[in-house]
Amino acid sequence: MTAALELDGLKKSFGKTEIIRGVDLSIGKGERHAIIGPNGAGKSTLFNLITGRFPQSEGHIRMHGQDLAGKAPFQINRMGLSRSFQITNIFPKMSVFENVRCSLLWSMGYRYNFWSMVGRSRALTEGTDRILDQINLTARRDLPAGVLSYAEQRALEIGITIAGGADVIMLDEPTAGMSHSETDYIVELIRAVTEGKTLIMVEHDMGVVFGLADQISVLVYGEIIATGTPEAVRANPKVQEAYLGEAMEVH
Amino acid sequence: MDLILVNLIDGLVTGLLLFMLSAGLTLIFSMMGVLNFAHASFYMLGAYFAFQISLYLGFWMGLLIAPLVVGVLGAGVERYGLRRVHQYGHVPELIFTFGLALLIEELVQFIWGKNQMPYATPEILQFTAFSIAGNSIPAYKIFMIFISIAIFIGLLYVLTRTRVGMIIQAALTYPKTVEALGHNVPLIFMGVFGVGTALAGVAGVIAGPVLGTFPGMAFVLGSIVFVTIVIGGLGSLWGALVASLLIGWITTFSKAYNLRMEDLLTWLGFTKPEPIWDSAWRDLWSITSPQIADILPYILMVLILIFRPYGLFGKRDA
Amino acid sequence: MTDQLTTDPTKPAQRIGAGSLTVPLIPWVLAAALLMVLPFIFTANSAITIMNQMAITIIFALAYNMLLGQGGMLSFGHAVYAGVGGFACVHIMNMDDFFAQIPLPLLPIFGGLMGMGLATIVGAFSTRKAGTVFAMISLGVGELIAACSVIIVAFFGGEEGISGDRTYGMPFFGVEFLQQIEVYYLIAAWLLISAALMYLYSRTPLGRMANAVRDNPERAEFLGYSARWVRFFSFVASGFFAGVAGALFAINYEILTEENLNTTQSGLILLATFLGGVGFFFGPILGAIVFTLVQTVLSLQTELWAFYLGIVFVVTVMFFPGGLAGLLMMHVPAMRLGKLGRLGVPYLKTLGSGAIGCLGAAGLIEMTFHLRHASAGDHSMTLFWITFDSHTILPWIVAIAVTFVGLGIARRTAPALAEAWNEANTPDGAPR
Repeated sequence: MTAALELDGLKKSFGKTEIIRGVDLSIGKGERHAIIGPNGAGKSTLFNLITGRFPQSEGHIRMHGQDLAGKAPFQINRMGLSRSFQITNIFPKMSVFENVRCSLLWSMGYRYNFWSMVGRSRALTEGTDRILDQINLTARRDLPAGVLSYAEQRALEIGITIAGGADVIMLDEPTAGMSHSETDYIVELIRAVTEGKTLIMVEHDMGVVFGLADQISVLVYGEIIATGTPEAVRANPKVQEAYLGEAMEVH
Repeated sequence: MDLILVNLIDGLVTGLLLFMLSAGLTLIFSMMGVLNFAHASFYMLGAYFAFQISLYLGFWMGLLIAPLVVGVLGAGVERYGLRRVHQYGHVPELIFTFGLALLIEELVQFIWGKNQMPYATPEILQFTAFSIAGNSIPAYKIFMIFISIAIFIGLLYVLTRTRVGMIIQAALTYPKTVEALGHNVPLIFMGVFGVGTALAGVAGVIAGPVLGTFPGMAFVLGSIVFVTIVIGGLGSLWGALVASLLIGWITTFSKAYNLRMEDLLTWLGFTKPEPIWDSAWRDLWSITSPQIADILPYILMVLILIFRPYGLFGKRDA
Repeated sequence: MTDQLTTDPTKPAQRIGAGSLTVPLIPWVLAAALLMVLPFIFTANSAITIMNQMAITIIFALAYNMLLGQGGMLSFGHAVYAGVGGFACVHIMNMDDFFAQIPLPLLPIFGGLMGMGLATIVGAFSTRKAGTVFAMISLGVGELIAACSVIIVAFFGGEEGISGDRTYGMPFFGVEFLQQIEVYYLIAAWLLISAALMYLYSRTPLGRMANAVRDNPERAEFLGYSARWVRFFSFVASGFFAGVAGALFAINYEILTEENLNTTQSGLILLATFLGGVGFFFGPILGAIVFTLVQTVLSLQTELWAFYLGIVFVVTVMFFPGGLAGLLMMHVPAMRLGKLGRLGVPYLKTLGSGAIGCLGAAGLIEMTFHLRHASAGDHSMTLFWITFDSHTILPWIVAIAVTFVGLGIARRTAPALAEAWNEANTPDGAPR
């Protein structure tokens, strides 16, 4: 079986500074994989490399065995990989409904279609409403996305990310800046909407990580120092030393 | 050979004049991300103000005062106009400066009318500096070259050797950080806008007597200035210099030498269709270089954009 | 804030045009009816001329807004697509044998295809980026093509342009388009068709994605859409309708010159579109109507019309970026609350006196202009149907007084208007 996502000797430099210093990682299908690490470890850069936002300097990224090198974000998305952003990245002037509908268009085969009315397609409207229902934003359906509360915008961000039906979902700090109750809500949401999909996420909140992930990788200074189940990672002395020390005591 | 030298000087004058405009425009653009469409309008205002002042106080006072007035006006436009529009984004900013360009042209027509002003070079500079093989080089041209180079050196000095220049350079790349360090970034913006427009004003003052002081003068030069900074690379001062000189020389040389497309096509091995006046290609065959001199910059720009989208020296885009 | 908005969640959706399944038909039927009867109301030849020009400008402005409003692309050279479409059509008119086989009403299709073809070529490299870079390229290409018009004489006809005769086409159900009124109906029909098509386009997946790319190109890329291709298709579609407008110009005036291509023309369409408002579909329509009226009617009254237009434009960009349409739509919430009527009297007080003040200021401007530029010895001028001597003091006192009193009253009553405005936008019983 090929892995959902495979990183092979991945490196990235900005100028002379090497941010990602040779990452090897294999993420299986249906796995919920969390990438943790201290600030500045290169987690977001890793995300940006995988999703085609930056080109890598060296190494390979393969999804379902296909090389992603040189592919633009939209091409990678079409291959079934979708991501969310650390800083909320939605269409603030468009309605919540339209935000979700836009993310359904390509996957429903509309492509650059200019001969059919979006409003006429029952499948499209129903599909959108189903996603809205999943992310509990039905009541906000027709508001401009920019006026939603922060937690609602984060939920919408996740909704947009999963709407296209991608089977590899990458979430960049989905609970950043949230209160406890909001975090619980988002975690439940993520669990529900990524059912049966491969999930890769960057997260700082250890409660979220240990609650959701079945595999954890620890990224420190551009290198993965440990990968394994939550228990194994928790017990790994290298991890304890490098990063988890204090966080573990809290739990 | 002598003719080449004469054309080199002529092209240099045009190029440096262009650079005085494109330098200010580039500075404003790299600082604020705004392409000031009305930049050439400030150049026109410089010429008109200097003309008006020269009626009472003579050319030299005009050269001194007019750029200052233009600079203050420019700073005012930034403070009360652009800063307000800034919140709507870059496209409305561009539209605002476009509207301003229209308005200034109409305003100039309102005050001074549609005719060309009798703005002339000062008498003290109305002599021949030297002549090359029978082609006399007027002293005023040499004066223009000196003024432009002096301003360029001054600009370079301020930007690289002074504290203000350091802050400006830092603000170009990290406006947020510079603001956090306690510098008044809006004030810097206003200052840069004022200085940029004042530079355009200087260009207007010294170009007015030779290129003519009339309401269309901004329009004539305006789009060429944009083309210049696009070719040079948006935001690059060196690029602006190189592109200005390039355009200055290209246009001067293609006007001076009558190169014919017919010769080029024949040399390439095409045969001239006969009778030529009935052929669909007649316009292609009859093109001469003086005829297309003024559109060469545009052609150059399109080529640059296709093959080098960031311009000659550009690193980033808008 | 949020709570207040959710009380009626269906309403904002219509404003954004999101959820509705049907395309509203009533405005279109009304527009068609209006276009039918207009020539019976304004029967003068000059009125028909103005209406023809207006309709052409509307199509062009709507096409322009496909870029600016819907795609977020600011073009300074869009006149070339209309112009080239028009030139192509005049050439077709001059191809006797070919033109005799096609009915005139189909000619705009050729113009559209020509504009579209050119847009395809230019768009291939200009739509890589939006924003400033796109604006600069559009300006450069626009200038280039406009400058070519004096060189490529075979196609553009040089300085004097090219002219044709629309009546050589195949008669269309016996109509040969000799009369101005026949041309009017041809243009009106194309106006309706083009406007409807452009409206429908904004409701297609591509049209929706054009909005998405305008607002957040990066996010759109992560949804599977290439921002560049979305922009490219919008550009090509806009080029088509610009070409249609150019073709109608060719049919109406039977002559095209360099003026149809140059940057001035491109600037004017930006002006008209932005004045009308880029945020709503009907904005450019309003803008084109007002602009054409100013251009044709006001320009007969005063030499300074472009000056006034410039002032209005700059004020619009600074204070009302939504344009006329934005101003109108600001009143929708008050209308929903049924409180629009309460604004009437405050409006009359403030805006009425403000308008009088502005007219006074315009009078001052006109008198200054007359004083400076009228030929020597010409002291008499006519303003607002009054003839007087601009070199005497009395008219100046009157004009200054009107200006100050008008603007003064407007200023004094402005707080009351603001108060009334807030009141009209607050639901009854809600805490203030």
